[in-house]
Amino acid sequence: MTSNSQVAAQFSLRAVLALGAACVVVGFSLFPLYIMITTALKSESDIFSWPPTWTFEPTLQAFKNAFLLFGGQNVLVFLFNSVLITAASTVLAVGLGSMAAYALARFPFRGSKHLAFFILSTRFAPPVAFIVPIYLMFRSVGLIDTHLALILFYTSMNLSFVIWVLRGFFADIPIELEEAALVDGYTRWQVFLRIALPLVRPGLAATAILSAVFAWNEFLLANIITQRDAATIPVYLSGFSASMGIAWGEYMAVGFFAVAPIMIFTLFLQRHLVRGLTFGAVR
Amino acid sequence: MPRIEFDNVSKRYAPSSAAVENLSLTIEDGSFLCVLGPSGCGKSSTLRMLAGLESITEGEIRVDGKRYNELKAQSRDFAMVFENYALYPHLDVYGNLAMPLAARKMPRQEIARRVEEIANTLQISDQLRKKPRQLSGGQRQRVGLGRAIIRDTRTFLMDEPLGHLEAYLRQQLRTEIRRLHEELGATTFYITHDQEEAAAISDRIAVMSEGRLQQTGDLLTLLDNPVNRFVAEFIGNLPISILPASIASNAASPELSVGDARIPFSERRASEIADSTRVAAGRLEAGVRPDAVTLHEESARHRLPLRVSVVEPVGDMAVIVADGPAGRLRAAVPSDSAPSPGNSVHAEFDASRILLFDGDGRNILRKT
Repeated sequence: MTSNSQVAAQFSLRAVLALGAACVVVGFSLFPLYIMITTALKSESDIFSWPPTWTFEPTLQAFKNAFLLFGGQNVLVFLFNSVLITAASTVLAVGLGSMAAYALARFPFRGSKHLAFFILSTRFAPPVAFIVPIYLMFRSVGLIDTHLALILFYTSMNLSFVIWVLRGFFADIPIELEEAALVDGYTRWQVFLRIALPLVRPGLAATAILSAVFAWNEFLLANIITQRDAATIPVYLSGFSASMGIAWGEYMAVGFFAVAPIMIFTLFLQRHLVRGLTFGAVR
Repeated sequence: MPRIEFDNVSKRYAPSSAAVENLSLTIEDGSFLCVLGPSGCGKSSTLRMLAGLESITEGEIRVDGKRYNELKAQSRDFAMVFENYALYPHLDVYGNLAMPLAARKMPRQEIARRVEEIANTLQISDQLRKKPRQLSGGQRQRVGLGRAIIRDTRTFLMDEPLGHLEAYLRQQLRTEIRRLHEELGATTFYITHDQEEAAAISDRIAVMSEGRLQQTGDLLTLLDNPVNRFVAEFIGNLPISILPASIASNAASPELSVGDARIPFSERRASEIADSTRVAAGRLEAGVRPDAVTLHEESARHRLPLRVSVVEPVGDMAVIVADGPAGRLRAAVPSDSAPSPGNSVHAEFDASRILLFDGDGRNILRKT
């Protein structure tokens, strides 16, 4: 009896410690978000009060301003640009990348390993190194300040790593599954769609998240090749520091729109990040 | 039902090494052929070439006289069962069974009806909503079988389908497979390394080794009339004993010497040997199955003196492993008359069942 309760006490102590540690980590991670959201909801006088107030009268004024700022160019325009460019480049990168990865995993040819590495190597150079040539290229084909320019750039940046990651996922599928489907009467293309793709779902989710995060957050190129029509949320955010000092409430309100969509997207896809989908397929 | 022909088929993965070499084999329509061989003998490559999963380096595979070499796997209309089941893990049992039918654009109701029918046949009706990972090995292979038989295929390819199952399930499922074969009358090409399974399930066995077809026939033919030493050693529950032998030519009547034993040989058999020794260079080996040996306490001119090393009980029989200057001999004797290790014994051979191999391992007494 004593030993049992001792064990129970020990166990609960460990649980409390683990829970405490988890709380610290979560609090540390969420604190900036908390500051962002509360600042966005504070009135200007509350924002600048010292010491900072923990309780305040929430106001939606900053959010309203965010929709009216910059002569009608409100946050929705930039939000739309970001969503369109991120969605299109992610779909393209994962769609094209999965086909290329499947081909590399399933149809080895002379030098296919070198090709795979070459594809990955396109990601080695820091983007800032080729920003000028990219700018000149886009200018010569008239793509400056267009959605297409950013979609193309983000797709090509993400493709290399999508291919590299998914190639491993495809190679892990037991080949017999695809052979069984071929013998069952499916074409190679149908096997890809109906067998291979569903089985690499975790890989698709992971690469889609990382591609989307990259496209959503990219600032350097977006800032240089877009001015108005195709400017994304990060470009819009950077504009705040220029004019009339920083409007902190509006800045944080727009920041909320910069963070929320990608967080929701990631949370939505996260449940597909399960391991061991092919478990039980063979043996 | 289709008739399958392999015509001088070879498969090379690299120019120098052949996985399958000059294989010629015909599977009559509606028959059940077992390809039997040790691992790496080329039996799987053979099946995969037939299925269209592997290209053919040389030769031709014909089905009902039609060349199949270039035909894609999905157009061959074969059904295949895999050693490791290869069930689609993201689909439930129903989805797995429905896949071959969906590929043929069968209407939904028809698919549902067929799936139910097959599930009943294989006693997996209550598993239809389960995913493969929730099933036991035996249930998984039942689903694998179901997926093969659900469409009206006339040819089954089975690649060691029972290899991963435990003995009891293996026996149960092989009966099932044979029953399905009788019912459907399909041509079946079955691969295994288990000779007992091959004998129980098939009409005809093809023995392969090192990429080459050695012999085809039923189990009795392979046991009593093997084409060479490999088949003799590979087939048989108890290993055959191989001992150096020679023909005593200057004796009054033909004699075969195995070690110190001088065994009288019939004139006819002796002349067969005399004929074929022309090709073979001198060296002869005698193969004796354990059940063609009797052990005696008294010595005799036609008996081989040996000392017992090991006694292995096998039910009501015991396998006596005995050694002598000529080599090692295995004999199967009733348990109650088994000698003890260390005993001297004199082995007598059933002369009509002795096999003789020449220097190249060919059986020179083979009746054709």
